[in-house]
Amino acid sequence: MSAPLLNVQGLCVEFGPKAAPIRVINDVNLRVDPGEAVGIVGESGSGKSITSLSILRLVPEPPSRIAAGSITFEGRDLLAMPKSQLRHMRGRDIAMIFQEPMSSLNPVMTVEAQIGEAIMLHERMSRAERRARVIQLLRLVGIPDPESRLKAYPHQFSGGMRQRVMIAIAVACNPKLLIADEPTTALDVTIQAQVLDLMKDVREKLNTAILLISHDLGVIAEVCERVLVMYAGHVVEDADIRSLFENPKHPYTRGLLRAVPSLTDERSRLYQIPGSVPQAGSIKQGCPFYARCDLRQNICAQTMPAMSRHSSSHQAACWVTQNLSEVRSA
Amino acid sequence: MATIEQDFAPPEPGLSQRLRRVFFGRTATVIATITVALFIFVAAFAPWLAPYDPMAQSFISINKPPSWEHWLGTDQFGRDVLSRMIWGSRNSLIFGFLSPVLAALIGGTLGVLSGYFGGILDRIVTRLVDMLLSFPELLLAILVAAALGGGFWNVVAVLTVAFTPGFARVARATTLSVKQEPYIESAIAAGVRTPVIILRHVVPNIMAPIVVLMTLWAASSIRLEATLSFLGIGTQPPAPSWGNIIREGLANIFATSWPIIAGGLAITIVVLAISIIGDQVRDELDPEIN
Repeated sequence: MSAPLLNVQGLCVEFGPKAAPIRVINDVNLRVDPGEAVGIVGESGSGKSITSLSILRLVPEPPSRIAAGSITFEGRDLLAMPKSQLRHMRGRDIAMIFQEPMSSLNPVMTVEAQIGEAIMLHERMSRAERRARVIQLLRLVGIPDPESRLKAYPHQFSGGMRQRVMIAIAVACNPKLLIADEPTTALDVTIQAQVLDLMKDVREKLNTAILLISHDLGVIAEVCERVLVMYAGHVVEDADIRSLFENPKHPYTRGLLRAVPSLTDERSRLYQIPGSVPQAGSIKQGCPFYARCDLRQNICAQTMPAMSRHSSSHQAACWVTQNLSEVRSA
Repeated sequence: MATIEQDFAPPEPGLSQRLRRVFFGRTATVIATITVALFIFVAAFAPWLAPYDPMAQSFISINKPPSWEHWLGTDQFGRDVLSRMIWGSRNSLIFGFLSPVLAALIGGTLGVLSGYFGGILDRIVTRLVDMLLSFPELLLAILVAAALGGGFWNVVAVLTVAFTPGFARVARATTLSVKQEPYIESAIAAGVRTPVIILRHVVPNIMAPIVVLMTLWAASSIRLEATLSFLGIGTQPPAPSWGNIIREGLANIFATSWPIIAGGLAITIVVLAISIIGDQVRDELDPEIN
């Protein structure tokens, strides 16, 4: 196995006062290899965004804090690193794309100035070189006639084009890892497809690893090879795309997949997982999915299951499916 | 890959075009702009435009009504009122623009810093601002002038202190909302240093309300200078300013009323003109209205 690019081990993030903390991220393990595309899927409040933000230590402290765990990038410990050194990694080694293309660009700066700023931060080049690089980046992300759009302001672009500009800013310094937090959520479906295509394209050309956060399994399946399913701050399943879709091992993942509508659907109502996500910190023991699970057994209420391996690239944290596969293999 | 997208936004007016619209948009603002420009011109070229020395006294022509020699007549010391008005416009106008600009710099800096960093700094600044805001500007000005004595720079300092809390409050409030914007978060994620984020990403986005406040207070400032000079704690005689031309004229109102009329009219016209421009600037820049 090659050395991982990003390795998150036992990450715990807490909110609230130190005396009575509310744990929103619990023992998350995450590994991204160079050039690999990994997705994190989960519903609102499952902790996927906080996980991605804590990688660059962007979670606001206070009220939240990284309570335990380690995050290493190319073997360097990001959590122990002084902020000044971390700043040099932000944008250059690890870049981020956010959810809101409408407001992620500064409204009073031209597109050239904003992309140029990203370049200027981490690379020394002359004005003319920088401009050439900006044009090249705009062309890479598929902005038509980039020369004439240099002096344009963000409000002169549509949502999809703004997201393209965001991607241009993110890849300006050839980062090794691109973290995209719901990059297509605010866009309509055709533009979504274009932006996803663009991300795949950029990945191929620049060999950038991608960590894609989404609530949409379809989006993740489009881009990623491997996916982590998060529920209530836990990683409940970690699998390659294929086995996740064909043979999900966690009841929550199964529920998610059953809820996906298809073109041949005869159902008048889509499937829905009963109940709602437990409030952060309300689960003291046992599996967080216990109350909503249709396979639950007594043991689930008492002890949180550990990740169990189903195949070389497939793990899930569930007592029931773990036992089933053991029975079958026995 | 498809790169065509239909919805190009219509080209927005650039800054120069917007400025042109501010100053020449409506007839009223055109007149106001020309008026203010004229007064600034007069103040700038006072030494060449004033027909007489504003301090020169003449006992043979005291309290004269307007004539060809003295367009606005003369005062009780025989000084030419027009020349005094022209020289006085320097004090009044410099004053009118200096205090708001200084207050915007100081108050804006305090407001942005406290809004951006929050914490203890924010608490101290906010309390200080609340404290200062509880005094009316004029009262504060009189208080400080009484303690330090009158004079141009003291009054500038006083009014700057009086205007600062307003700017600090506006800057803080807008910074708080701009700080929440995703583009600030993406700038942090891109590795931009905090001072650069503040200067390049926060400050330009909070300029609109600050500029509006500045234009609105330029008018107040001219008015307050006149008030303070009228009360005898502003510009000290014999140096002319519109306020103390009125003050000296008042004592002499039954001999000649021309100094009061000239001073009062000048203040009214300039304050009115600046207010009209201020309104237009607000209409143009205020995102609430656009």
